Amino acid sequence: MKKDPQKVRNIGISAHIDAGKTTLTERILYYTNRIHAIHDVKGKDGVGATMDFMELEKERGITITSAATYCEWNNHEINIIDTPGHVDFTIEVERALRVLDGGVLVLCSVGGVQSQSITVDRQMARYKVPCIAFVNKCDRSGANPFKVVEQLKEKLHHNAVAMQIPIGLENDFKGVVDLVKMKAIYFEGQQGEQIKIDEIPAELMEEAENRREELIDAASMFSEELMEAALEGEIPEQLLIDAIRIGTLKRELTPVFMGSAYKNKGVQPLLDAVTWYLPHPGEVQNVALDLENDEKEVILKPDPEAPLVSLAFKLEEGRYGQLTYVRVYQGTLRKGDFIVNSRTGKKVKVGRVVRMHANQMEDIEEIPAGYIGALFGIDCASGDTFTSPGIRYSMTSMHVPEPVISLAIVPEDNKSQQNMSKALSRFAKEDPTFRVRVDHETGDTIISGMGELHLEVYIERMKREYNAIVHTGAPQVAYRETITQKAEFNYTHKKQTGGAGQYGRVAGYLEPFDGEFEFVNKIVGGAIPTEFISSVEKGFRSAMDKGQLLGFPVTGIRVVINDGQAHSVDSSDTAFQAAARGAFKEGFKKAKPAILEPIMKVAVETPSEFQGAVMGTLNQRRGMILGAQDEGDTCVIEAEVPLSEMFGYSTDLRSITQGKAQFTMEFSCYRQVPKTVADELVKKAQEKNKKAA
Amino acid sequence: MKVSQERKQGGIARQKDTDNVIYLRERSIAMLKKDLILRNPLRILGTEETEPLREGEFGAVLAKAGVGKTAFLVQLALSNLLRERNVLHVSLTQPVRKVCLWYEEVFHNISTEYELKNTSELWDTILPHRFIMTFNVDDFSVAKLEERLNDLTEQGIFFPQLVIIDGLPISDESRETLAEMKILAREMGFPIWYAITVKPDDVLESGQIPASVESLSDLFEVLIGLKAAKGRINVMVLKGQADENIEDVFLDPATLLIKNSE
Repeated sequence: MKKDPQKVRNIGISAHIDAGKTTLTERILYYTNRIHAIHDVKGKDGVGATMDFMELEKERGITITSAATYCEWNNHEINIIDTPGHVDFTIEVERALRVLDGGVLVLCSVGGVQSQSITVDRQMARYKVPCIAFVNKCDRSGANPFKVVEQLKEKLHHNAVAMQIPIGLENDFKGVVDLVKMKAIYFEGQQGEQIKIDEIPAELMEEAENRREELIDAASMFSEELMEAALEGEIPEQLLIDAIRIGTLKRELTPVFMGSAYKNKGVQPLLDAVTWYLPHPGEVQNVALDLENDEKEVILKPDPEAPLVSLAFKLEEGRYGQLTYVRVYQGTLRKGDFIVNSRTGKKVKVGRVVRMHANQMEDIEEIPAGYIGALFGIDCASGDTFTSPGIRYSMTSMHVPEPVISLAIVPEDNKSQQNMSKALSRFAKEDPTFRVRVDHETGDTIISGMGELHLEVYIERMKREYNAIVHTGAPQVAYRETITQKAEFNYTHKKQTGGAGQYGRVAGYLEPFDGEFEFVNKIVGGAIPTEFISSVEKGFRSAMDKGQLLGFPVTGIRVVINDGQAHSVDSSDTAFQAAARGAFKEGFKKAKPAILEPIMKVAVETPSEFQGAVMGTLNQRRGMILGAQDEGDTCVIEAEVPLSEMFGYSTDLRSITQGKAQFTMEFSCYRQVPKTVADELVKKAQEKNKKAA
Repeated sequence: MKVSQERKQGGIARQKDTDNVIYLRERSIAMLKKDLILRNPLRILGTEETEPLREGEFGAVLAKAGVGKTAFLVQLALSNLLRERNVLHVSLTQPVRKVCLWYEEVFHNISTEYELKNTSELWDTILPHRFIMTFNVDDFSVAKLEERLNDLTEQGIFFPQLVIIDGLPISDESRETLAEMKILAREMGFPIWYAITVKPDDVLESGQIPASVESLSDLFEVLIGLKAAKGRINVMVLKGQADENIEDVFLDPATLLIKNSE
């Protein structure tokens, strides 16, 4: 492995579903000689694209897990993470972005900036990932790459600037004009592998000059030298490239490239751009938290000789055991070294070190700073930090959203039961947004995640990869309970009839609180002895696990205790915990409890003629329509809709729009359920409890 | 028997208890709203009793680019939203998300300015009264707006009581569009406030109508001008009978909030 971090690019390819990222990655691997044949996503040849290696992905034409792979171009080593495009899998996208230094935002030249592109862009902004854009599918009818450039400016507020102009469009799409070199580039040969550089066609000369002017104007904001050169009328190519690079690294300029991955056009110049404009690991500042020093932030040095700091960002169950993808930020991860998991403090020996190429791998000796690789036989959870012995750093915690939907699953038979347990523990380790628990009352196994599709995919994977057939119940929304006003409690727990007695009195009040839970002790004069205060807090906390309306967790409560009583013999930890639970019940009932439900941000893209009908469906589902954005033939309707009302929406939407609309949804916030709906929910919960009894 | 009667009585007593409950949450939101309405410098542009515009009437905020027209109109909208009046905000230049951001930003600034707490609940109560529609300026037509409005009203989704139109280019040819709009506003029964960018050489002085809008001024009942001065943006009445105190208010250039100079 070469060790020049300046020649390394860790990039992610993210986009809206179906914008063609997997196809683009496939072409990149082909041109960089990593694969020797091209397969399509929904391939007729039955092989499928190399990056989509899970059977399920091949079948549905979507990418679910982000496979890491590496390739070489112009003496640069490029590590690519292929990321899923569906919003239910955004944790994968977020994780990928955490370990990347730069991104390629793929946009469809027909569909343009769609709602998922906005989500992906926001994520890139959160991790400050510099990016370049690739307008794909220029061969499709209705292609309009400059409309996409405008949308990048208007919708995503990027300072987008075209680096190329297309030569022909739709069926006539032949190649691109490079506005830096001012040359036409054609892609010849069976797979577009022969690049022919020619003069710009005369009819495009004027447009090319105008667009180059715009490019120079935008780039000269980042280089005085370039501004001077522009005034003199003589612009050296490298000067222009350097200025664009500065703007891109600052995230103040987004160079836009064009092509059609499917038709093998425009991919090689994009690869050049990755090496020219995106940062190498040394140009990105990464910060770790020093666990020994009050979580103080430490800036990491991309120095292979410094102590090791690396992040396990993805786990996979491989044929030979658990495969752990790691990104090394500082130092070098060598085969045979001892490393420490800073979460558990466990020391482990590094066994096999590999470099991944989709589902094939290559054994290597070490992973130096700035590189991405994978380890075998390391037991850890995703998001764990590994360091050299002697330091205890943790990479900043990743933003993990709480799951919003649950599903009860029942295995078909004993064999499935065993396999299901194996699969579930694996999935929960791989994906922090996927949770598993057992409902103690019904004995059901409950899985929770970020959306219907998210859970569906895991059910499918259980069947295919683990041979576990499970039956599912109706999806269940993760409600929360809270209180809406202050209420007092004064509860005595007394059990003094024979045997060891129990006695404890707790008094105070509950009130609404902005966070999850707060416990305030205002007891004076030792009404409750100090040693039992923690028991009282414990009692309140355990009572929060299950509300009295629906049995969902309670949130947003401040408990203040200001009085109480103890008995010199009969008071104990258990007695005060029980008293606190009783006090909570008493106060909760009086505090006008309410149910909170997850609200989803929904964006529907539909042809304009269905706008009214789509708004109607959202309104029927208790949706609050925030707005409607008219974009000529299509429009985007943005709304906030309770998750409980969104089940089966895709079917409804398809039927009223003849399949021409699509929607994305993501969790927005929790909001109080309207009274009529709440009453209905409580009634159902009571009936269910009766049945269970 | 006796026991059940007691229980029954207890039940009645409990019911009575709940009748007397004052729900603090509702009360605090209502108080917060009232407080904001009273403290709002914009109330001189209309309260329940003194709406400056009636159904079918037009008002406009005139200023040069970047002076604060949108911020002014968003505050006007917010003051209506607080009074639970439905506001339709039509933008011809910005996407829905950006318009939402304007509202969030202005609301946030107001909350900070008046040191309000628990504003998220207040925000949740005013949100259902707002609807944002955006169009590409080139594709915009009154017929299209009418079609969209019918979509909303026929299904009972939203009935605007005030419309704000931001980004409509104004020229001599605009008369036809504005006249059609006037008919629509009368038919549907709402007033419209516009944000109009004046030409760089237009003069904005109190009581004077700028040259570029003069030929259309008969269509507007109220015209308000915004002009950047030293350390503040002045608000002036160019046409109409707005409260004379309006000239006491100005826009803070840092937050673009409307403030009272007293």
